[in-house]
Amino acid sequence: MPLISEVGKRKLKVRLTLILITIFLWIGVIIHLFPVWWMFTTSIKPYTEVYQFPPTLWPRNPTFASYKLIFWLFKGGRGRLGFLCPIWVYIKNSFIISGGTVIIQVPITALVAYALSKLTSPRSSRILFLYFIGTMMIPISISLIPNYLIIRHFPFPTNRVPKIPFTSTPFPSINFLDTFWAVIIPSAYSAFSVLLFKGFFDTIPDEIINAARLDGASELTIFRRVILPLSRPTFAVVIYFAFTGAWNSFLWPITVLRDETKFPINVLMYKVERVVSTLSRETALTDENWREILQAGFGMNGVMMLAIIESIPVFIMFIILREELMKGIKLRGFK
Amino acid sequence: MVKNKNEKLQKQRLASKYKMGWFFMAPGFIIQAIFGWFPLVVVFVIAFQKFQVIGPSQFVGLSNFRIILDDPMTPIVFKNTLFYTVLSLALTFIIPIIVAIMLLEMSKATIRVMMILWFIPYSSMAGLILWKWFYNPFYGLFNGILVSLGLPTLRWLNDPHLAMLCLILPGLLMFAPGLIYIATLQSIPREYYEAAELEGAGFWQKIWSITLPRIRPIMAMMLILAVINNMQVFNQPMVMTAGGPANATRSVVMYIWELAFNSMYLGRGASLAILLFFLIMILVLLQRKYFKEDLDK
Repeated sequence: MPLISEVGKRKLKVRLTLILITIFLWIGVIIHLFPVWWMFTTSIKPYTEVYQFPPTLWPRNPTFASYKLIFWLFKGGRGRLGFLCPIWVYIKNSFIISGGTVIIQVPITALVAYALSKLTSPRSSRILFLYFIGTMMIPISISLIPNYLIIRHFPFPTNRVPKIPFTSTPFPSINFLDTFWAVIIPSAYSAFSVLLFKGFFDTIPDEIINAARLDGASELTIFRRVILPLSRPTFAVVIYFAFTGAWNSFLWPITVLRDETKFPINVLMYKVERVVSTLSRETALTDENWREILQAGFGMNGVMMLAIIESIPVFIMFIILREELMKGIKLRGFK
Repeated sequence: MVKNKNEKLQKQRLASKYKMGWFFMAPGFIIQAIFGWFPLVVVFVIAFQKFQVIGPSQFVGLSNFRIILDDPMTPIVFKNTLFYTVLSLALTFIIPIIVAIMLLEMSKATIRVMMILWFIPYSSMAGLILWKWFYNPFYGLFNGILVSLGLPTLRWLNDPHLAMLCLILPGLLMFAPGLIYIATLQSIPREYYEAAELEGAGFWQKIWSITLPRIRPIMAMMLILAVINNMQVFNQPMVMTAGGPANATRSVVMYIWELAFNSMYLGRGASLAILLFFLIMILVLLQRKYFKEDLDK
């Protein structure tokens, strides 16, 4: 609309460009949505059809067998796939991690961004901004090993907890490995969220806040009563990015969560896929347990079914928050 | 006298305001100190140590770096990572911008529908596993298409020359940051375009002189983030190829992870991480020098 004027729309050339753009965009949409279709059809194909070449575009004998199988395979107590817990435990783990990240990260970053935007002296604001945003430029991989060590006996990144001087008792420390805190605490602060919040808070005129101050409101009240209602869309954006970020995080969970009962669903999926795809025909036929699993019809169809389960929360978050997302993104670059 | 008192009051107010500011920042400040900045110090300490999980660690000077530089794997993983970054930026950086610009030419109703369809996010693990299945040489969709077209089949992820390209394609479809561009484009005032039109500016001229300068700060930011993220690629090779075939897709971060958490050479992992850190810093600085956020400055 902004580039092509309403007036020119009657010209043939202009109309042709518009049609071409439309066709391009719809083709893009189809290509973009095709993976969802493929996930779904693969998950409802029976085992024999999944391993058929060339693959069928439309499932010939649709069946929901893999959906039932997944509960049978993960019955718990060292289930047939070799995983300890029933499937819903892994889904719950993912929700605890993502939900915990959102609940802790959003208020912390909102307060930081508000303070950066409105409550710092001009002298210190530049340096504080660098302090809070600077880590965005630093690769996460460099803090991977140190953070692992810090988490191992918080807050000492040494391989032994130092002793309190002149005594033989070590300093108090906490081992967060194999707990959900190990994943949640390092992501309790996120520079990107601060940037998103600050981009919006900077657009709120100071007069509103000053007026509230003159009425005798405390800073916390101003934040709660004046700023919060104004910035709902921005909160939606940050919640969305924090949630999907935590839901998709993979490197950090596989590093600090070695306990199988604590896996989030995407780590479980990674492990199951690895087992299914590297399984050779021979082991499958000689191993009693695997023969049973394969005869029941579990293969890539089951993995795709897990993929669908894993995608649903992210889809839902997007659909619920999409209106707010459009209004709420107010980034201004690294400024 | 009165004026003086007023000034004093004002100063007090300011001071209490700043104090509240510190109070608000405190939780974030502490977490940022521990997990944001402290690791930077720690990593340099560990890199000079023979760091074992059990038992004492000892200072070994530069020997970790020497081992890493002599390791035949190091040049391979750096080459792979740079190749991935360049190819992935070339293929995936521009497309979301073009799509966002085009999308805004549509009518309001179309935008609403297409927004959902274009930018619906895939969970990354589901996406990668699905793509791995697409590439499957025996049962996959891509070879299926090739066969039904009467073409010879390819080995995709098992082919050392193709594997890297295969890792990049999912990014093209599934994790595009178009949403951020759309939001930025929508915030450009309409009047600018109308004014340009009165002066007789055409389609390309408007893009060149209004759209691009306006989204430039965001583009600069997204480019920096994309370089940093792509240089640290981990999920794609880990999930889709496990570094194979013949190490053609093993990335630096993947090697750091293997060194530190599979072989338990934390010191060597840390020194490799430092090398990667300096490389990324150089790239970021070059970028900030040659791709300025604002043209006015």
